Amino acid sequence: MRISGIEIEKVNDNLWEIPKFGGMLVPGRIYTSEKMLEGTLQNDEALKQVVNVAHLPGIQKYSLAMPDIHWGYGFPIGGVAATDINNGVISPGGVGYDINCGVRLARTSLNFESIKNRIQKLVENLFNDIPTGVGASGAIKKLNAAEIKKILRDGAEWAVSNGFGSKHDIELTEENGKLKDADPEAVSPRAIERGMDQAGTLGSGNHFLEIDFVEEIFDENAAEIFGLFKGQIVIQIHTGSRGLGYQVCDDYLKVLVQAEKKYGFKLPDKQLACAPIKSTEGQNYLHAMRAAANFAWNNRQVIMHLARNSFKRTLSISDAELEFELIYDVCHNIAKIEEHEIDGEVKKVCVHRKGATRAFPPGSKFIPEKYRSVGQPVLIPGDMGRYSYIAVGTEKAMRETFGSSCHGAGRVQSRHQALKEAKGRNLVEELTKKGIVIQAKGYKTIAEEMPHAYKDVSEVVEVMHHAGISTKVAKLKPAGVIKG
Amino acid sequence: MGYRFIEHTADIAVEVEGESLNDLFISSCYAWREAAMDISSFQKESSKKFIFNSTNLEVLLIELLSELNFQLYSKGWVFVTIQNLFLEETDSGYHLEIELFGQKHNSEIHKFKEEIKAVTFHQMKIEKVNNTYKTLIVFDI
Repeated sequence: MRISGIEIEKVNDNLWEIPKFGGMLVPGRIYTSEKMLEGTLQNDEALKQVVNVAHLPGIQKYSLAMPDIHWGYGFPIGGVAATDINNGVISPGGVGYDINCGVRLARTSLNFESIKNRIQKLVENLFNDIPTGVGASGAIKKLNAAEIKKILRDGAEWAVSNGFGSKHDIELTEENGKLKDADPEAVSPRAIERGMDQAGTLGSGNHFLEIDFVEEIFDENAAEIFGLFKGQIVIQIHTGSRGLGYQVCDDYLKVLVQAEKKYGFKLPDKQLACAPIKSTEGQNYLHAMRAAANFAWNNRQVIMHLARNSFKRTLSISDAELEFELIYDVCHNIAKIEEHEIDGEVKKVCVHRKGATRAFPPGSKFIPEKYRSVGQPVLIPGDMGRYSYIAVGTEKAMRETFGSSCHGAGRVQSRHQALKEAKGRNLVEELTKKGIVIQAKGYKTIAEEMPHAYKDVSEVVEVMHHAGISTKVAKLKPAGVIKG
Repeated sequence: MGYRFIEHTADIAVEVEGESLNDLFISSCYAWREAAMDISSFQKESSKKFIFNSTNLEVLLIELLSELNFQLYSKGWVFVTIQNLFLEETDSGYHLEIELFGQKHNSEIHKFKEEIKAVTFHQMKIEKVNNTYKTLIVFDI
């Protein structure tokens, strides 16, 4: 069939393929359902972007897209591409501006029923304690350049050694909250300046902190290992590296756009600008990107600690009673050097995940020991009015998607469309009627982020579940939301 | 001549055109401001001058708009109007000098609309079509 002007073939109910044409070096593969393909992708640029990514030098197997795919810049959001580290490239467009944007999920001992009349107060206090919105600052004192460089090197360890959390949190963070070979010196003074007052801030747009409760459990064994039970209050935090990360991407894109000529690349979109992984330009970007990723992990660690304190103060309970503990923290905008089996041979590749979550299987040495019997937690937030999911990675993900899965619902409406649809409605009241308390910097954000601006995340999660890439563990329902 | 915002699923896209490259660059600055801010009143409190050089015209435009971004989000300085813009082609590429008037960010009169994370290269191509310079700019938000 033809979708958005591109010929696409069905592999099975959950997987579709764009055969190689023109300058594509590999075919494209999209995990999606027929319904989503013919619906949301029909008039979208995203499939064209899957084709464009297939032009990247050194790309292996397929240019992949997860079911939450939508129009991005360069890469589609929901895109995954692995490039050979010997003859392949690294592309900042395959990571995005918000380097290590990601999700953190913490659990508590609390039952929703026992605190549901305190959600309003909790939301108010969280909103006051955690800086949100454009230009948000002041979660912790403004840091100087030397201190920012420590964060860039040490990641979430900086937060813990400065009193924002415990060592236990570090163990349950992807990469232990710190990518090695990060080089603060590869980060420009301008990027450092942008980060000085942004550590521990949530930001704006689709970033949020949510109080959820566990509505349904699908995999009892994995849920028990993750410490989940039905009715339990959990907290989701979605944010990234803020202005510092945006600036790193910006700085290096300008360098790599100019490098295109030097290396003789012919790319269909300037936003795919890239350099050989082993080149000076490629290595400098990787070192800076890792430093920005560390800034993001520190950011989520600080925010989680602020949230923990808000809960304790609002409910007047102790740490021992609250048991506010991290389940896991995953990044979904990143490029990492990993080993994957390709054509029967283990190869080192650079896996770009742009709006895609790592989904490593049971037994992987790269996931916390306590989760090795079930696999890596895959955190998939939905929209603020419906639900979110926790899933686990599988062996099949390693074989088919370089150990990657979806990262969220994916937008279906532009912000402009959402604003138009929200006109004349009282979304805060609508959410309140559904039992969801929301507080945001402005009503415009609530309108732009209204539930129906997004795909139904359950459709996205079901595709990955039935494809065997990440299987469902639990479904979360929002009770309180703070946004920028 | 000027700019027109178009539908984009996740970000902000704007088509900009001008009779000259100078016009195109000037309109791009105002398009950026409209995407980022809702400004009820202006005051020319202070001026700033920036100089950019690049072998590539698109990089030059992105350098300029990224500077406006940096001034707003990191320096708290809002660009209000353009006093002078000088753009020339040189032996090694392009040279741009711009003098802007602006003022310190005041949350009472300068409301943030969106946080523009960055000005992207996505689909950006400055072209001359029937004596009009055109480009598309996608802001990542």
